[in-house]
This record gives sequence, C-alpha cells and structure tokens, in this order.
Amino acid sequence: MIAACREIRRNILRISKASGHGHIPTCFSVVEMLYGVYQTIRHDPANPSWEGRDISILSKGHASLGLYCVLAHFGYFDVEKVHSYGAFGSDFGCHPDRLKVPGVEVSTGSLGHGIGVGVGMALGLKLKKSDRRVLVLIGDGESNEGTVWESVMVASNLDLDNFTILFDNNRSQERCLPIPNPVERFRSFGCDSIEVDGHDVEALKEALSRRASGVKVIVANTIKGYGCRTLAENIFAWHRRSPGEAEFQKLMDELDAETV
Amino acid sequence: MTSTPFIIGMRDAFFDALYEIARTDRNVIIISADNGAPSLDKFAQTLPNQYFTVGIAEQQMIGMAAGMAFEGKKVYTYAIAPFITTRVLEQQKLDVCSMNLPIVNLGIGAGYAYDIMGPSHHTVEDISIMRALPGMKIYCPADAICSRALVDLSYADPSPQYIRFDRAGIPNIYAGRPVDFTPGLVKTREGRDMYIVATGIMVHQALKVSDELKRDGLEVGVIDVCRIKPFPVEWLFEYLEEVPWVVTLEEHLLAGGLGGIVAEIFVDSGVTTPLLRIGQEDRFVFTYGGRSVIWKKYGLDVPSVVEKIQTWMSSRSGGVEFAKRAAVR
Repeated sequence: MIAACREIRRNILRISKASGHGHIPTCFSVVEMLYGVYQTIRHDPANPSWEGRDISILSKGHASLGLYCVLAHFGYFDVEKVHSYGAFGSDFGCHPDRLKVPGVEVSTGSLGHGIGVGVGMALGLKLKKSDRRVLVLIGDGESNEGTVWESVMVASNLDLDNFTILFDNNRSQERCLPIPNPVERFRSFGCDSIEVDGHDVEALKEALSRRASGVKVIVANTIKGYGCRTLAENIFAWHRRSPGEAEFQKLMDELDAETV
Repeated sequence: MTSTPFIIGMRDAFFDALYEIARTDRNVIIISADNGAPSLDKFAQTLPNQYFTVGIAEQQMIGMAAGMAFEGKKVYTYAIAPFITTRVLEQQKLDVCSMNLPIVNLGIGAGYAYDIMGPSHHTVEDISIMRALPGMKIYCPADAICSRALVDLSYADPSPQYIRFDRAGIPNIYAGRPVDFTPGLVKTREGRDMYIVATGIMVHQALKVSDELKRDGLEVGVIDVCRIKPFPVEWLFEYLEEVPWVVTLEEHLLAGGLGGIVAEIFVDSGVTTPLLRIGQEDRFVFTYGGRSVIWKKYGLDVPSVVEKIQTWMSSRSGGVEFAKRAAVR
C-alpha cells in the first residue's frame, strides 16, 4: 500500500470514529481506484468546474467518506472540514451532494443511477466534439440493479469511447446475488473489458490511460475492508459501523502493519 | 371519444413547434424510449445529433437526459405516460428533481387514452405521484392550441417539467380566440351558479355537462387547469369567488389528483364553498370496449356526471332550494 492511500484510510477511520458514521469497508475497497483516477484525469482542484476537466462519478455513493478523503488529499478542500461528516451544518453527507462538495459531479446514493447520468454526460461531450472523458465507479453489488445493464447496453450501442466504467469487484454480493465473470459479462455487452488488481495504483493508472475501442471497463479486483484484517474478515458486521476507542486503535495498528 | 385523423393531436402540435426551435437551437435534444410519432420523423431525418432513441430503456433515458443536461442540453424525453412517470419514478426524483435539471418529460396517453390496453398503459395516478416530487412542474393541455403554447413555456423554463398529452385527436376548444395560457388556468366558459374545474380531455366533458345543466336553468362555467403544478391558486380564487358550487372533474384517481389539490387549497385557505370531486375510485380497470365504455361504467360519461351533480346539489342543505331559485332566474 502506498503511503498516500494509507493516510487516506487513516483519515477515513478518524472521521468515522469522530462522527459515528460511515461505511468503512466499502470506502477501503475504492481508495486506490479513486486515487488512481484523480492522478490520471485532467482536473483542477482550485477550479472544480474547470471547462476542460474530465468527469469522475462515484455511482456507489455510500463510499462518500472515501471520496471526500481522496478529494481532500488532492486539495479540493481541507480534510479537517470533513470531520463535520454527517453533522448539522456540514457539507459532507453520508451520500455526496454535488451542490455542496467541490469535486462531486453527480449526487448519488440510490444504486444504479450515477452510471446512467454518466452515459448522458459522455454523449453530451461527444456532441460538443470534446475530448473530455467520463469515468464512473460502480460496485459489484450495485450491479444487481437492472439499470446498470440498461446503461451499459446504451453506452455500448452509442459506441461511447470516452466513457469508462470502473467496476469495484469486491465480491460484496457473494452472499446474495453475485456477479460472476464480470470481465466476460461486460465483453458480451460489447465493452472493451480488462481486469486489474484494484489495490495496485500503477496497474490502475495504466489501465485508465490505455486507449480502448468503445466503452472501456476496468474490472478492479478488490478486498472490501482492504488494509485492516478485522474489517476484511467481518465485512457484514462492519458494513455501516464506526469504531469505538479501543477498536479504532486496533484498526489503526492493523493499517500500519498492513495485515491484509 | 373516437380519434379523428383530420385533427392534429396535441403531441404532434407540440413536436412540430419544437422542431422549429430545435432547428435554430442545437442544444435542444429529444430522447425517445423507442416511441415514434409522425412529427418526430423529421427530427430523426434532419437533426440526427439532436434526436436519440435509447431503446425500451426508460430508466436509462431519464438518467441520460440528466447527464446531457449537465452538458448544457435542453432535453425533452418522450414515452408513453406510465413509462415516463411511475416506471422511472426514482430517476425523476433523484436524477432530475433533486439536481434540479432543465428536463421536460413528455408523456403520451394520459388517463384512459390507451383504453383497451389495461392498467399497464392507463395513466390515472401520475398527477398525484409526480406532484409529490419537489420542483416538478406538471402541465395537462386540453387541446393542440394549448399544447402548442406549452412549447414556448417549457423551452423558456429551466425547471423539471412533466407534460401529459392525450392520445386522441381532440377538437380544439381554443381555435380562433386569443388565449393566454401563462397563468396556468383558463376560464373556458363563464359561470354564475357553478364552476367545473377540469383538466385535459375532461375539459371537453365539462363543457358538455355544462350544456346539459343549462336545461335545469343552471349557468355552469368551466375552468381548464392546464398547469396543475404549481397550481394557479390566485386565479382559481378570482374565478370561483362568486359561485356557490364547485365541482372537479378528472380522468384520474381521486387520491391526490386535481380534486384533491382543489380540496387542499380550500381547506388551507378556509374556503367553505361546497365541493364535489368526480374522478376514479381506488381501483384498476380491466374493462374493454373503448374509452367511452370505461367512462360509462365508472361514472365519467356526461349523463353520469350530470346525475352526480344533480344528486349532490339536492342532497346538500339548501341545495334543492338553490336549484329552484336558479331555475326561475
């Protein structure tokens, strides 16, 4: 784990403990993906609405705390501000609001929505003959929603080669409705689909930079709760739970020792 | 009501006028969920970068409209009315309304327009459901002239909007006279004893009911509510001020529909004018044979509405006396 991603995870733990809110394991599975995205795309944290920026959408909005800590790392705002997470008067809700948080392009929360909006943005940019790109991070659990596949069909049919889907393959729906063989699935929908280690920032950046024919899908194999054994081994118990003082120290120690 | 091929429908009147705007404003986009219309063909042929069909994927259509709106487009979505309202309710709520995007949703087949198609294609709950979405404006034109006027209103307005069109070729009420639709409400016929407040195709029914009640000596006016949300409250009060009886008539469930809105306004404003709401009860309709058959069976045809009004008036305290007074006047 690179130092920046470890520090982002520390912040997620600190803020979750302080606020008593947050979905920690899902945030931990997307840290490298979001970090890789913001290292790769064109964006300007000092001017979040810069006309030349690429668009990044977190469709699985419950990983908002992870997104906030990544955006803070890249300078969109001070991470201290995020400590108000979920509190009265805060801009930082448990699902991201585009009108409040700089860098949040689409308000999300209900699963299977961000990807559809992203398809529309990619089409809108194509019509403007712009070379800007749209990237949408979706979850494998989110892909239980039928709308995800409507969006993939339409994006593929429109041949949106400026559209990238990052598929967080953390196997969170093994218990219920798994999405087996996601690479082949997306390929069968007409996408240019590849697989990478979702915790390897360099591999992610290479995949993000790679030219694709048509809609690009990056299946990122991840571990829910990556970085802390306690989280990774008990993802259901920790799905939406904040640590107490003793638990917090244990998780911080595990993170430092990188036990997963 | 049978459709007459010589009358241009309110949908086609809308698309024809929108086409003229789209030719000069390249940011006007139409997305259809695999629904065609004669008036849409020219969009496909001459404005291919402004006309998209997503397939039978209404949820994606609404999400995509939101994404295109973010890129500066004025997007009109189009589908059969139930599939652009209840089927995509969460997309309307979150993708359109919560982000307050300039999207105009066009639904064809309001009420029982798709008569023999059954509850899947009937749209008699859309007003109550769509009006619950914060920021969503709702229009329901009664003829093609109103529909044509809604093109300019919808184009100039950056709010989320829903326009429910009838499917049939309905005669024009407003031909040959200047009508301002911007207040959202039109006094279609002046009244002295009663006003029937109606919307869409029921405005036509209300005029016929008014003709019938004239035989009882009643001067019954008709108010056409073409903008259901935000409801033109001030105008309604101005028109209803002097009449002692108010009836609402809608081809829609009574739960939360036009009559429900008027009742809410009366209660909130302390208005005590007797109010009769006529519409559909809490039921699905599996009756075939046509729209007029449905109206007759469920009390929305002209004789049934007339009878309901007469019974209601005579059962109210003083109602009979009033009717007699009105008759001799």
